Amino acid sequence: MEEKPGRSTVGKFVIEAEEAQAIAKESGVGAVRELLPLLVPAAQRLARPPISNYRVGAVGLGTSGRIFLGVNLEFPGLPLHHSVHAEQFLMANANAHGEPGIRCVAVSSVPCGHCRQFLQEIRGAAEIQILVTSDEDPAFRPLASLLPHPFGPPDLLNRDAPLLLEPHDNELGALEATGVAVGGGGLCNGIGGGGLERRLREAAEGAARSSHAPYSGCAAGFAVADGGGRVYSGSYVESAAYNPSLGPVQAAMVACLAAGGGGGPEGGGWGIVAAALVEKETAAVSHEGTARIFLEAVAPGAHLKVYRFRPSAAV
Amino acid sequence: MESGKFVIAAQEAEAMAKTAGVATLKELLPLLVPTALRLARPPISNYPVGAVGLGISGRIFLGVNLEFPGLPLNHSVHAEQFLVANAAAHGEAGISYIAVSSVPCGHCRQFLQEIRGAGEIQILATSDEDAAFHPLSSLLPHRFGPFDLLHKGIPLILEPHDNDLGSLESAVIAGGGEEVSKGIEKEGIQQRLRAAAGAAAKASHAPYSGCAAGFAVADGEGRVYAGSYMESAAYNPSLGPMQAAMVGYVAACGGVGREHRGWGILAAALVEKESAAVSQEGTARIFLEAVAPGAHLNVYRFRSSASV
Repeated sequence: MEEKPGRSTVGKFVIEAEEAQAIAKESGVGAVRELLPLLVPAAQRLARPPISNYRVGAVGLGTSGRIFLGVNLEFPGLPLHHSVHAEQFLMANANAHGEPGIRCVAVSSVPCGHCRQFLQEIRGAAEIQILVTSDEDPAFRPLASLLPHPFGPPDLLNRDAPLLLEPHDNELGALEATGVAVGGGGLCNGIGGGGLERRLREAAEGAARSSHAPYSGCAAGFAVADGGGRVYSGSYVESAAYNPSLGPVQAAMVACLAAGGGGGPEGGGWGIVAAALVEKETAAVSHEGTARIFLEAVAPGAHLKVYRFRPSAAV
Repeated sequence: MESGKFVIAAQEAEAMAKTAGVATLKELLPLLVPTALRLARPPISNYPVGAVGLGISGRIFLGVNLEFPGLPLNHSVHAEQFLVANAAAHGEAGISYIAVSSVPCGHCRQFLQEIRGAGEIQILATSDEDAAFHPLSSLLPHRFGPFDLLHKGIPLILEPHDNDLGSLESAVIAGGGEEVSKGIEKEGIQQRLRAAAGAAAKASHAPYSGCAAGFAVADGEGRVYAGSYMESAAYNPSLGPMQAAMVGYVAACGGVGREHRGWGILAAALVEKESAAVSQEGTARIFLEAVAPGAHLNVYRFRSSASV
């Protein structure tokens, strides 16, 4: 499929509503949703799957009219559950931009069961329209046809609990910095003119506040900084089926790449020099150990600070 | 806590079916689901899941969900995964029917694709109003699976695997006190753990990454349990070797009961590929820190002669 449109969207993971309309017009398609499959090849080129070399690109249309991209990410040196699927990237990307709903998604390969399950975290998941560009006869079909008789949030939560893409405001209580530090102690001082540690902490805290963790009650957020002092953060997104949950570390890597960070396609590694994790004290679901080994594999030498909160309401 | 039986021999299954007054073995499966439920260990969700599967050998296998507090949720084991790992560990060549207490989630519907002929596996959810067996293909239509990535001759789960491990180099990771180490040395437990983890790695299913891996644990009585890494074409649903070893542990003896703290694991061994694109080592360390603090871990890396 020939790439359309041109350079204006290269490398962009979010296309504003007006621009999406303009591109749709230029491309000669009737509705913006018909533009989605045309953008899939460009999305695939942004994927980072060094283990499989199997690129997946996903393009979603938000109810706001914005278009979001998602790509798969793989991290050598770690177990495969650290991978991020393009559909998960897409939703985490939309979530980070406050998008209230995603109704249509075009993707380069049929979503796997892990993703069909992860997508259940969105309200009205059954009606999300999915088009697979690798199909012989690509067409939008409801997610319900790909995952009939689903297991999902309604099996465990009551109907007014906020779902993914809906506002969350988790109570964190007071943050305690733990003594856990990985990597050089003086590193933060030299970057971003000081205050980097505070910015990382605040970003991770904000991400934890908006994280979706209704099953365990263990809100969490992660933030990373690159050599230029730019900070990217991501919220933990839990799945009713547990295993398909997107870790806060993964969500932060999504934010990094989506914002144009991550060292670029030619660069080796991700360029991360410091990070912060905010999670619950004595959490039943804790990301601390995983965050350590993730950084060891992906950004050796990066400095990690862990903050734990104790919510006042017992969870 | 009752250790329960996680494998029912074919003859016994027949006898049970007769006693229960059912004509076929598949009708016995939903009747055994409540038993499986009682053996589940989900301390995070307190949502037990039990699965009962009929192998083509006529044996019946149980599966339960396991959750490990203090770790991310992707360390959890679903009942259907437990069932498959349990069957694989017992050399079962195929599974034709599965009864489970809740409808399988997408993660499990995907994991089950690693079995040849997955589409035809018959699944019954006892929680359904009108519980009946339906083919897995109806639960995961238009699937993504092994044959999107592999050619048809490659062995799938429940088929014999014999991965080339080359020579094992030992790299000792310190963990556990002096006394634990000495105790382990004395009883030759270290060698037995290494052998068990090595055999598990040989049998592991890792056709996507080429990174075979096996894990073994020893309890306070010196008994050793091992598990093989089981990869999924969709990557994330893969069952880690630590998880597979816990399946082996629980299936053999129910693990240590509630009257003891934790899981009673004193030592462990991991066998994996040198400079593996998919490495379990770091995760094995954090797993043991959460599940068996103080347990001694040895890591052995192999360099296979075939470059993968």
